[in-house]
Amino acid sequence: MLSTLASAADPTPMAAPKPLIEVQDLKVHFFTRDGVVRAVDGVDYGVNPGETLGIVGESGSGKTVSSLAMLRLVPPPARTVGGRILFEGEDLLTRTPKQMAALRGRRIAMIFQNPATSLNPIYSIGAQLSEILVWHEKASRRQAEERVAELLNLVGITDPLTRLRQFPHELSGGMKQRVGIARALLCNPALVLADEPTTALDVTIQAQILELLADLQARFHMSMVLVTHDMGVVARMANRITVMYAGRVCETADAATIFSAPQHPYTRALLESMPRIDQSYSRGARQKLPTIAGRPPNLLNPPAGCRFHDRCPEAIADCRRILPVETAIAPGHTVSCIRRGSPGIAA
Amino acid sequence: MGTARYIARRLIFSACLILGVSVILFAMINAIGNPIEILLAERPGMTDEVIESVSRYYGLDGSVTDRYFTWLWAILRFDFGTSIIYNQPVSEMLVTYGLETLKIQIPAILIALVVSVLISVMAATRQYSRLDFGVIAGAMLGHSLPGFFIGILLILVFSYWLGILPSYGAYSTRNMLMNSTLIDGLWHMVLPVGMLVFFNTATLTLLMRSSLVEVLRQDFITAARASGLPERRVVFGHALRNAFIPVLTYLGILFGVMLGTAPVTETVFTWPGLGALYIMAIQQLDYPLIMGETMIITFMLVGATLLTDIAYVAIDPRIRLA
Amino acid sequence: MDTPIVPEAVAEASIAVPLRPPGLWRQGWYRFRRNRGGMLGLGLVALVVLVALLCPFVAPFAPNDQSAMLRGAARKAPDWVHLLGTDRNGYDVLTRVLYGASTALAVGLGAMAVASVIGVIIGGIAGYAGGLTDELLMRFAEFFMVIPVFVVILAVVRLFGIVVVGTWLESIPNLNLMTIIVLLGCFEWPPIARMARAEFLRLKHAEFVEAAICIGTKKRDILLRHILPNALPSLIVLVALGIGGAILAETMVSFLGFGDPKAVSWGQQLHFNYEALKVAPWAVLSPGAAIFVTVLGFNLLADGLTDAFNPRLRR
Repeated sequence: MLSTLASAADPTPMAAPKPLIEVQDLKVHFFTRDGVVRAVDGVDYGVNPGETLGIVGESGSGKTVSSLAMLRLVPPPARTVGGRILFEGEDLLTRTPKQMAALRGRRIAMIFQNPATSLNPIYSIGAQLSEILVWHEKASRRQAEERVAELLNLVGITDPLTRLRQFPHELSGGMKQRVGIARALLCNPALVLADEPTTALDVTIQAQILELLADLQARFHMSMVLVTHDMGVVARMANRITVMYAGRVCETADAATIFSAPQHPYTRALLESMPRIDQSYSRGARQKLPTIAGRPPNLLNPPAGCRFHDRCPEAIADCRRILPVETAIAPGHTVSCIRRGSPGIAA
Repeated sequence: MGTARYIARRLIFSACLILGVSVILFAMINAIGNPIEILLAERPGMTDEVIESVSRYYGLDGSVTDRYFTWLWAILRFDFGTSIIYNQPVSEMLVTYGLETLKIQIPAILIALVVSVLISVMAATRQYSRLDFGVIAGAMLGHSLPGFFIGILLILVFSYWLGILPSYGAYSTRNMLMNSTLIDGLWHMVLPVGMLVFFNTATLTLLMRSSLVEVLRQDFITAARASGLPERRVVFGHALRNAFIPVLTYLGILFGVMLGTAPVTETVFTWPGLGALYIMAIQQLDYPLIMGETMIITFMLVGATLLTDIAYVAIDPRIRLA
Repeated sequence: MDTPIVPEAVAEASIAVPLRPPGLWRQGWYRFRRNRGGMLGLGLVALVVLVALLCPFVAPFAPNDQSAMLRGAARKAPDWVHLLGTDRNGYDVLTRVLYGASTALAVGLGAMAVASVIGVIIGGIAGYAGGLTDELLMRFAEFFMVIPVFVVILAVVRLFGIVVVGTWLESIPNLNLMTIIVLLGCFEWPPIARMARAEFLRLKHAEFVEAAICIGTKKRDILLRHILPNALPSLIVLVALGIGGAILAETMVSFLGFGDPKAVSWGQQLHFNYEALKVAPWAVLSPGAAIFVTVLGFNLLADGLTDAFNPRLRR
C-alpha cells in the first residue's frame, strides 16, 4: 500500500516541519472468539511540534484505539499488528517495554475521557500524582508533592494543599478532569493525547476545560492529539483535522480547509449533520437536521471496497470494489475517495 | 473521630446480632422439645427425683424466659455450665479444643490467601492466555470438590498409598516423630491444613482473579500505565488493592465459618478440635456443650463480620462512615 | 467512541439487529450458548437429572439388595458383576450411586424451593414497600446470615429425631431427609431475599412498570406479571448456585452421621464406608465423585447464567 502512496503525488508539502510523531499504516486488530475485528486498519497521520491534531469520527471508528496504540497500551485481545509509530524519529513499536514505560507519562502523556473512572478511587490525589513524579524524576516525596500542588494551582484548582489530601470521590467531575490534566502535565511531556477530554462533562464545564487545555498547550508548547466525535470541539481547538471512519482515515487537512472545503463525502455528511444556530429544525420547519443514513459497518467483516460506500450519497459501482488510498489533492490535504481521484486497491 | 464512632456503632449492632441469634437459638432448641426430656431420652430408667435434681443442676428448671436470662447472664461471665459427658467446665473445653481448631484453620486461610493472590495476579495479567484458562478451570474444579472429599483423597494418596503422612490425630500416640512434640505436631498438621488450603485457595482464586480482571480493565489502570509506572507497581499497588475489596467479604466469611465447618474437617482427620467435640456433644446430647459451642461459633461469625466492616473502612475511602 | 473498546463491545456491535429485539430470555440463551463452561454445566446437570429419572431402569441391582454380603462378597473390588464394587454392607456401589442422584436432586430442588418462596416474599415486600418495612425485614435477614447454619442444622436434626419418637410425625416417610430439606431452605433464603429486594427496588421505578401503574394495572398484576418475571434471571443464578450448595450441605450432614438412614444418599454412602476407606476405597470414591460432578455442574451452570444475564459482571 505504501508503494501505491509513493507513486501518487508527494503527500507532504515542501516546507513541512518534521513531525513530532508520525503514525504510518497502523493496524490494530481485536482477536475475538468470533474472528478478527479490524478496529484500526491502515491509518496514517502525523503531529507537528506545538500543533493540535483533531481526530474526529463516530463510535467504533478506531480513534481511541489508535491513540492507545501510540502508547502501546491497546487492551487485549487487541494487538497492534502492523505499521510504524515514529516518535522523534524512532519507531515506538520496536522499543522494549522498559524504554516504552520510561516514555509514558514523561514524553507522551494521556488525558482520559471519563475523569470519574480514570483516577484510582482508593488513593488520595496527592499520593497518585506524586507517585508518578517520584518514579520518573527520582524526586523526593516532599518535592513531588510541592510540584503537584503547583500544577494543581496551574490547572485552576483552588486550595491545592487541601485537595492533595482528598480522594477522587470528594471532587466534582470538572475538578477531577483538571486533576487528570495536571497528571498528564506533571513531567512536561512533548505530546499529550487527549481522548474525548470533555465528553463526560457538563456543557459549561466543557468550555472551561477546553480553554484550559488550549492555554496550557500554548504555554508549554506541547503537541496535542485531540480525539473527539464533536466537530465543535475540533473547530475550536485543532490546527489540523483527521477524519476517521470504520478504522480508516477519510480525510486530513488543516482545520480551515476541512470546514470550508471538505472533500470526502463522509466529512461533508458529518458537517451537514451538525446543527446550525441560524437554522430551525423544529417539527414543521422547512428543513430537517440531515443525518447519515445507516450504521457503521461491522468490522468483523468489513465491506469490500470503500468502507463508507453503502452510506455514501456519491457512491458508484467501483466504490464497492476498490479500497481507496489516501492521496494528497493539495498541499497538506489528503483524501481517500476514488471520486476525488484517489488511487485504490481492487478487491 | 468519625472512624471511632463508626466502630462503636458497629460494635453495638454486633452485640445486638449476637443477642438476637441467642434468642433465636434458645427458642429453637426449646421449640423442639423440653431439653431435660431430650437430655434423658436415651438414658432410660430415670426416677422423677433424679430428673428433678439433674434439672436443677444444669439450670433446666423454671420457665423458658427465666432459663434464658439465667443462661444469658452466665454466658456474659463466660460461664457455659458443665459438660455432661466430660464433667468439665464447658468454657475450659472451648479454649482447649478451640486452640486445636485454630491451629489448622488460621494457617490454612493465611497460606491460601498468599497462594491465591499470586495465582490470580499471574492469571489476570495474562487474560485470555492458556495459563489463565487453566487457572479458571482448575479453580472451578477445586471449588466444586467437597472439602471432605479432598481430605479423603489426600489420606488415600499420602497416608495409605505413599505412607508418608499420618491420617488422623494431632499427635502420635506412641513415638513422636524425631522425638519432638513440635515436629510431630507439624507433621500431623500437614494433611488437614493441606485440605483446607486446597479448598480455600480454589474459591479465593476464583473470586480474586475475576475481581482483578475487572479492575485491570478499568480506566485508572490504563491511566497508571500511561503515566509510565512500572507494571509491578500498577498491578500490586493500584490493581490489587482495588481488586481486594470484593474479596474481603468472602475472606470475612472464611474466618467466620471456620469453626462452623470444622466438624467435617475434624471428622475426616479425627482431629481433636471444636468440630469433633461438637459432633460428640450432639451424639451424646450434651446440652450445655451444644449451646456453648453454638454460641462461640456465632460469636466468631459476628466478630468476623465486624472486622470485615472495619477493614472495608481502612481499605476503601469511599465508604461513608454514616 | 463512548467507551474504551472491550471485546464485548466489539462483538456486540457486530451482532446483526433483528427486526424485533429478542427478549431477555432469548438474549440470555444466546449468550449462554457461547459459554463453554456454562454449556458443560448444563450437560452435567442434565446427566444427573437423567440418571435420577432413569435409575430404576439402568441400575444393575435393587438399591436395598445386600445379597452380596450373604455370599461373602462385601467390600469386593470392581469387577464385571459389580462395576464399581460392593461396599461393607454388601450393597452394589454403582446402584447406590445412581439412586443417590434422585435424593441429591430432591434435596437441592426442595431446599431451594423453600428458600426461594421465603426469599422472594420477604425480599419482594421489602423492596416494593420500602421504608420501615424494608428496614425491619432486612435487619431480620441479617440475623439469619450470622446463624452458623451448618452446626445448627446438625443439632436440630439430631434433637428433632428424638422428639418425634412415638408421635404421628414418625409415620412420615423419610422424615429425617425432609427435616434437612426444610431446614436448609429456612436458612438459605437471606441471599435470595437480598437479591429480590434489590431487583424489586430497581424494577419498581422502571418505565414499563410506571407505565403499567399509569394505565391502572392491579397491584397484584404489577407484582406478578411485570416485576417478578424481570427479576427472575438474577434470582435463577442464585438458585442454581444454592442447589449445588444444598446438595453439598446434605452430603456433609449425612457424612457426619446425622443423615436419613433410610434414604439412599451419597453422604450416607460416605458415612458408612469411610471407616473402610483403606480396604474398599471405591465405595468412598464413587459417591464422592458423584457429588463432585453434580456440584460442579450446578456451579458451572450458575457461572454461565451469570455471564448470560449480567454480561457486564464478568469476562
